[in-house]
Amino acid sequence: MEQPFLFRKVAVLGAGVMGAQIAAHLANAQVEVVLFDLPAKEGDKNAIVLKAIAGMQKLEPTPFSVKAKASDIVAANYETDLEKLKDCDLIIEAISERIDWKADLYKKVGPFVSEHAIFATNTSGLSLKTLSEHLPGHIKGKFCGVHFFNPPRYMALVEIIPGPATEPRAMDALESFLTTNLGKSVVRAKDTPNFIANRIGVFSMLATLHHAEKFGLGCDEVDALTGPSIGRAKSATYRTADVVGLDTFAHVVKTMSDTLPDDAWHSIFVLPDWFKTLIEKGAHGQKTGAGVYKKVGKEIMVFDASKGDYRPSAGTVAAEVESILKVKNPAEKMAKLRECKHPQAQFLWAIFRDLFHYCAVQSEGICHNLRDLDFAVRWGFGWSAGPFETWQVSGWQQVAKWIQEDISAQRTIANAPLPNWATESTRTGVHSNEGSWSPAAKNLSPRPKSALHARQLFPERLIGESVEYGKTLWENDGVRVWSTGDDIGIMSFKSKMHAVGNEVLDGVIQGVAYAENNLRGLVVWQTEPPFSAGANLAQVSEFLAAKNYTAAEAMVKKFQDASQALKFSLVPTVAAVSGLALGGGCEFVMHSSKAVVALETYMGLVEAGVGLIPAGGGCKELALRAAQAARGGNIFHFIKQAFEAIAMAQVSRSGEHARELGLLRAHDMVVFNQNELLYIAKQQAKAMSESGYRPPLKARDIQVVGKGGIATLKMIIANMLQGGFISEHDAAIAERTATVICGGHVDGGTTVNEDWLLELERSLFVELLKTEKTQARIDFMLKNGKPLRN
Amino acid sequence: MTIKSRDAYIVSALRTPVGKAPRGVLRNARPDDLLALVLKSVVGSVANLNPQEIGDVVVGCAMPEAEQGMNIARIGLLLAGLPHTVPGITVNRFCSSGLQAIAYAADKIRLGEADVMIAAGTESMSLIPMMGHKVVMNPKVFESNENIGIAYGMGLTAERVAQQWKVTREAQDAFSMESHRRAVTAWQTGEFNKEVVPVDVEDSVFDAAGMKIKTTHTNFTRDEGPRADSSLESLAKLKPVFATQGSVTAGNSSQMSDGAAAVLLMSEEALKRYNATPMARFVSYAIAGVPPDIMGIGPKEAIPRALKMAGMKQDQLDWIELNEAFAAQSLAVMGDLNLDPAKVNPLGGAIALGHPLGATGAIRMATLAHGLQRRKLKYGMITMCIGTGMGAAGIFESL
Repeated sequence: MEQPFLFRKVAVLGAGVMGAQIAAHLANAQVEVVLFDLPAKEGDKNAIVLKAIAGMQKLEPTPFSVKAKASDIVAANYETDLEKLKDCDLIIEAISERIDWKADLYKKVGPFVSEHAIFATNTSGLSLKTLSEHLPGHIKGKFCGVHFFNPPRYMALVEIIPGPATEPRAMDALESFLTTNLGKSVVRAKDTPNFIANRIGVFSMLATLHHAEKFGLGCDEVDALTGPSIGRAKSATYRTADVVGLDTFAHVVKTMSDTLPDDAWHSIFVLPDWFKTLIEKGAHGQKTGAGVYKKVGKEIMVFDASKGDYRPSAGTVAAEVESILKVKNPAEKMAKLRECKHPQAQFLWAIFRDLFHYCAVQSEGICHNLRDLDFAVRWGFGWSAGPFETWQVSGWQQVAKWIQEDISAQRTIANAPLPNWATESTRTGVHSNEGSWSPAAKNLSPRPKSALHARQLFPERLIGESVEYGKTLWENDGVRVWSTGDDIGIMSFKSKMHAVGNEVLDGVIQGVAYAENNLRGLVVWQTEPPFSAGANLAQVSEFLAAKNYTAAEAMVKKFQDASQALKFSLVPTVAAVSGLALGGGCEFVMHSSKAVVALETYMGLVEAGVGLIPAGGGCKELALRAAQAARGGNIFHFIKQAFEAIAMAQVSRSGEHARELGLLRAHDMVVFNQNELLYIAKQQAKAMSESGYRPPLKARDIQVVGKGGIATLKMIIANMLQGGFISEHDAAIAERTATVICGGHVDGGTTVNEDWLLELERSLFVELLKTEKTQARIDFMLKNGKPLRN
Repeated sequence: MTIKSRDAYIVSALRTPVGKAPRGVLRNARPDDLLALVLKSVVGSVANLNPQEIGDVVVGCAMPEAEQGMNIARIGLLLAGLPHTVPGITVNRFCSSGLQAIAYAADKIRLGEADVMIAAGTESMSLIPMMGHKVVMNPKVFESNENIGIAYGMGLTAERVAQQWKVTREAQDAFSMESHRRAVTAWQTGEFNKEVVPVDVEDSVFDAAGMKIKTTHTNFTRDEGPRADSSLESLAKLKPVFATQGSVTAGNSSQMSDGAAAVLLMSEEALKRYNATPMARFVSYAIAGVPPDIMGIGPKEAIPRALKMAGMKQDQLDWIELNEAFAAQSLAVMGDLNLDPAKVNPLGGAIALGHPLGATGAIRMATLAHGLQRRKLKYGMITMCIGTGMGAAGIFESL
């Protein structure tokens, strides 16, 4: 049997923007990582890498799950540390996109790369075939491309590309590692220039530039049109170029121009002169403080090619076009865009048309199937739908006919005909439950069924694919308990944003009871993020409008009962969390037997934002955990952290950060791939059940810091208030938070029980609810979706 | 019974250089070790001093716990090799602890209860945080508005002084830059040379590369705080720390520091017996209370009292060591009392030189005693504000 690929230690070569952040993400994933760069000319030989690591600690959004991860990266240089490569199982080369530089480096490091190691280049589009010619023979069989997107922690896509001699099992092992351990969404691409995502995404940008000029639209206007209003990233077109770096973008375009001389669209693989002038002037985008956009004082300025200078950014979508973009039916929307004479509408139709046209013609050469192409663009560029999905949902036949008409009328950029498969009279699209069309194989390519893919019980879907979420076991208006056929139940909320109202509370309480009687475990998982945006404020507001505080208090009591039901359930309850878990949602996670959370989990007890304190057991649980964590030592140290988390409504910046905030326990797990979340949570529930799970006993002797602790927190509050950092009402909320988590006005060091803390929580919650300022905060949040500071 | 008062004389006053906390050279240095060093140094400054004659060792320390707990005075003197017959007491009046120790020591001599006394101060702000490791407020503090100032952080009280006395951000920054300029110049011209005892700092840390414990020795000879590159531009960039609309920044506040100092005092009889030359005579010491929420104004009340006790006029003072807890309170006090800026902190103050809380009074005693002698001036004063609302002032006559 051949040796399996094990990934104990990984080296990243090149501490530039991508290399350093890839190393950071490996550190997040608890992978031993060595980051290499050139030796510094003077001082510490690792100075270049150390500077890159230090720089990342200031970067937003942060590449690190928690700050401490920065020190897990081992800094190294090519002069004194090449020996460190010898026991690396994976080497990711991420230096500048220059074949000569890469070749030099390969020569230097080649002798130190072990026989068993996978050697991957993070190129965004260079030929693997050419690069592999520069490698020593023993590496060629394990050489491939691994193309991360910037920023690598947050962008899901990684394209992997085999070289001419790559062993298939090396590709499989790498895909598993990237998927499960790093949480990436992997697409297998072919060794063609710029691979899939950049080939299509950059084409789309170039087509946008081309038509913007043709229709006389300003950069700001183009960005207003090509962002969220058509389901694409907020950075739209030009701002994306600024983020990527105009110089880098120019480089990618040059690669396209150099390597695709026969592409029928070659004529647009150039940048306008004004773009080149900006680069020459050093306006390289975000990293240099100016690009297509720049900020002057508080004003955003945009480059105006007609003036050759910046002007205030003001681009908007015309009302006529905006009303078309709001049309719900996609086929109707596309038809209206095409019909409308407004240059903005004509521009939008043109960029969609040429994108569809290009993808249809080129897909055969660049991807294995159109699922890969659509996912690559979605995950690599943050589009909500890939080109073929948009085409399919807009009416395949109709759009194909329009494209053909425009080709005949020479309105398209290139006059290549649509491929036959695209114009088949029976075609209604390219994606269905049976699979996605493969232009190369001329058949439907079904979803892969490997052990790796089996871990994704409900993988991301494409337009044209449908899903059924198992069999319903029990349900009410707020909650559905279902299963995938085994005896682990899955509880999902039915509410919008999975907010927790009375019907969800009833559902949780009764659903847990159902699980205790009929199942071996219960996973709380939502079919799509967020886990839960918190309590249903609209319901709370109704009670307030009727001045029905009894009903409000009853709801809070029920909240506590639901949390306690999760905590004391006789079968294990596992919260499977990804995205937001705020307020009541966070409290449910805290009360589950175990939490399995995705890396990208944003948890917090944010009740202060609406003038309240956590009263679904959140304060109680933090007080309890503080006493446990202190283990007889200084409890206040932990109480202070809990106080800050609640009073400042801190939200975690990752799953691991939620643990630092005290919201997750030592036994809660962070998993990297949110698509594997349900699978892992179910496995955990099964294992706990198999292990003879028993819930904790209700705590009767919780040591608290009492009135001395309250006074000490009041000291902090008094300073914040006097310093103008918080309002009077913030102080009122914070003092009540202090009172609960310190156990009330008892002597420090004495004990209370869980029910007492719950009662304190509840009564002080209701006290706040009765205040005008809290009511104003709730109203404001309901109306504006953001907190009011009063 | 009537008590005839005698004079108390300062024979020796020596200090360590002041380190930056919490990451400076003295970050791992124990405050009891620093204390032992300065105690040994002042005892050694008088030939043939019989340690049995030392009536008491009074040590100021503002956060006397953990490494500086357990009556650090007694521990420090025993570690210094003084015989077990020498007693020791730790006193705490926060920032004036070091000066208070001198006053108590002087009083014992003035009362005729001792002929030889040692006063000292020591503080490690690297090892012991402000307010100590365990803070537990009394709930009754919040029951009246008069006492709520007890709960205010020092920075916030400085903001309140800045507001009430209308001290601008610009004035505070300018004062701070001048403090650095004076301190840097003083070190360059060797003004501090005689008062400072070098510290052999031993650090033991794990060296992962060598898989061993690496012990290093640093000969620490100069204060770490003064910045030659301090500028109004860089000071202006700092954000207020204690109030959103405030003016008090890290740059115009005293630095957190580590350090120690000791002072040897004698009666006239002892001076004769040991043929010792006195540096200065203790003249007077006064303490006063002010509202806790504007504690920085304390010296305004203490200074006139000390002058009155001494029967002196303010303009007789040649040198005033006014502890720069904050530029805001220093300027407020100077403005109200019309203190001559040229006479206040001629070698810089705590903003540049650092402020190891309970040690500062004794440290500045070393600076003042040596400074007055060197410049052939007569009267000097050490004064400071004190947390929870007090002021202290001591007057000394150079001989």
